[in-house]
Amino acid sequence: MPFNPLAERGIPLDRQLRSWSELNVQPYDTREVHPYTRCRVILMNGVEVEAAMFSHNFNRNTADVELKQRLARVRRIEQQQQKAVNWLIPGESQENAVEVTIGYEQVAVDLTAWLARHEPDPYLRQVYEFGLLEDFDHLYRYANLMDLMGNGRRAEEITGNYTEITPGRPTIFEHRDPHDDLRRPMTVQAAHRQSMLNAMTLVSAEQQTMNYYMTVGNRPTDPLARALYLEIAQIEEQHVSHYESCLDPTISWLTNWVLHENHECWLYWSCYETEVDPRIRQVWELHLAMELEHLRIAAHALEEIEGKDAAELVGDGYAAPMTFEENKAYLREVVARQVDLTAWDSEFLPVDDLPEGHRYFAYQAQVNAGGVPSEQVIERRRAEFGDEYRFETDGEHPVEPLRERGDHDNLGYWRATRSHGAVAPIG
Amino acid sequence: MSDNDKHDGLKGLADKAQDMVGGMVGMASASTAGSHDARAFVMNGCVSDRYEIEAAAVALRRSRSDSVRAFAQMMAEHHTTAMHQMASALRSHEVRDPLPDIAPPAELDARRQGMIQHLLDAPDDDFDRMYLDQQKLAHQEAIALHRGYAEHGDNPQLRSVALGGLPMVERHAAALKRINLH
Repeated sequence: MPFNPLAERGIPLDRQLRSWSELNVQPYDTREVHPYTRCRVILMNGVEVEAAMFSHNFNRNTADVELKQRLARVRRIEQQQQKAVNWLIPGESQENAVEVTIGYEQVAVDLTAWLARHEPDPYLRQVYEFGLLEDFDHLYRYANLMDLMGNGRRAEEITGNYTEITPGRPTIFEHRDPHDDLRRPMTVQAAHRQSMLNAMTLVSAEQQTMNYYMTVGNRPTDPLARALYLEIAQIEEQHVSHYESCLDPTISWLTNWVLHENHECWLYWSCYETEVDPRIRQVWELHLAMELEHLRIAAHALEEIEGKDAAELVGDGYAAPMTFEENKAYLREVVARQVDLTAWDSEFLPVDDLPEGHRYFAYQAQVNAGGVPSEQVIERRRAEFGDEYRFETDGEHPVEPLRERGDHDNLGYWRATRSHGAVAPIG
Repeated sequence: MSDNDKHDGLKGLADKAQDMVGGMVGMASASTAGSHDARAFVMNGCVSDRYEIEAAAVALRRSRSDSVRAFAQMMAEHHTTAMHQMASALRSHEVRDPLPDIAPPAELDARRQGMIQHLLDAPDDDFDRMYLDQQKLAHQEAIALHRGYAEHGDNPQLRSVALGGLPMVERHAAALKRINLH
């Protein structure tokens, strides 16, 4: 039976404020935590950050003083929720920044894969599969960095046996002209409700990943680690542009507020339904009850100010929870089918089909001049350990040129960048 | 003036007149069927973008004016983007579910083919004027099409395409007014 958030009662707003001691939650134990519990914590932190920043931007764009007050009251609680969720991640001595980074990339892989598999719109599914292969590659690059930084843990101890660690679309080739990150927006009027939830989820998750790398990327001392973070942080910016351009840009701020609160309800309900850690499940249950009230407040404002019914946006409720689960077979199929795709405006095509002089090659030549950290990290791993770090549980890589001893030059991207005169620094 | 020059001059005048009459027909079509019917909007929008790209390619080969060449380069880039936006919209369920057989036209219609031919045939010293005259008509038509469909169109996703493209074609029309050939 679907969960209809408009038919449920939440906690009244004046009973939602918590003390500092209530917010300063006991972190999970990094040795005990289920990898997908860590993923849910990382995801919901990103969702709360988006909720807070959306509310701040709404506040900056409305003159309605009383509406500002409503936003401020809800926003203060959203900010408390963000602290309660993000403070579940343990401190540096248990999980350092690169280990948390592995968690962020596991989120990006298994979240995007699930959303792509459950996306009803064929164009949006293609958008998600395109981004998926890029985050899949980031996990592999950071896993090699983690080995080089050497605190004794390997990436598979973070991800468990759930996610393979192997090349996707090589990061070196993900750098594109900004025009080629802009997709076609859906419309709230005609899109599937699930499509709106999916896109908002990816915007929140990728935005938080971008914010995280923007902030922690300069914390390592090793120049290669710093360089890898800044290179991949730039891709995360591309991904935020890529996903946010799928959202309907014509809706009102109030409609957008309802969509945000509805989105939070869906994901807290999903976490509550799928969580295996009883203590953390209580956090999801509490926050779901809070979000139900936030949704009611936003829905009331929409009806009162614009005369619109929030039920038209929310529908009958949620049919299925977003679930962190294995996507290994799906990922292998997508990487085999789409590794050589690139983007031209809102469309996707094999890189070999780009015309002579396309802006992609000039952009590649400019940013990749002088060496590429995402390639250098693999080279250094090979130089120091004799091989790459990979975690391939289901056999060798499905794309021959991406196997450790494969014919790397035979990848379509290497051929295309060389034939168009773009810099191709690694053979 | 030789007989050949007289012939070229008369042909140029006839071509311009034909472009202008064609443009009026196009305006009427853009303002009527194209303003509310999804198939007409897709047909007119795609053919308009293809014409812009082909005309720009001719202008980049033939024009000696920096400002005309810069404008043509912008047309090639912007209308390629518009063509891609339309192609992506046509792959979305918002269009495919109600209109499963809709597809972009494979080539230019006879009117736009004629306009491209006129550009190819134009004498060197008349080329820039003819290109800019065609551009003014084409952009008036594109504005009518996009504005009409954005306001009255029958498919939300295609209305969104029209709404997203309208400011661009309006800026093109404004840019055309700023081009001074002398």
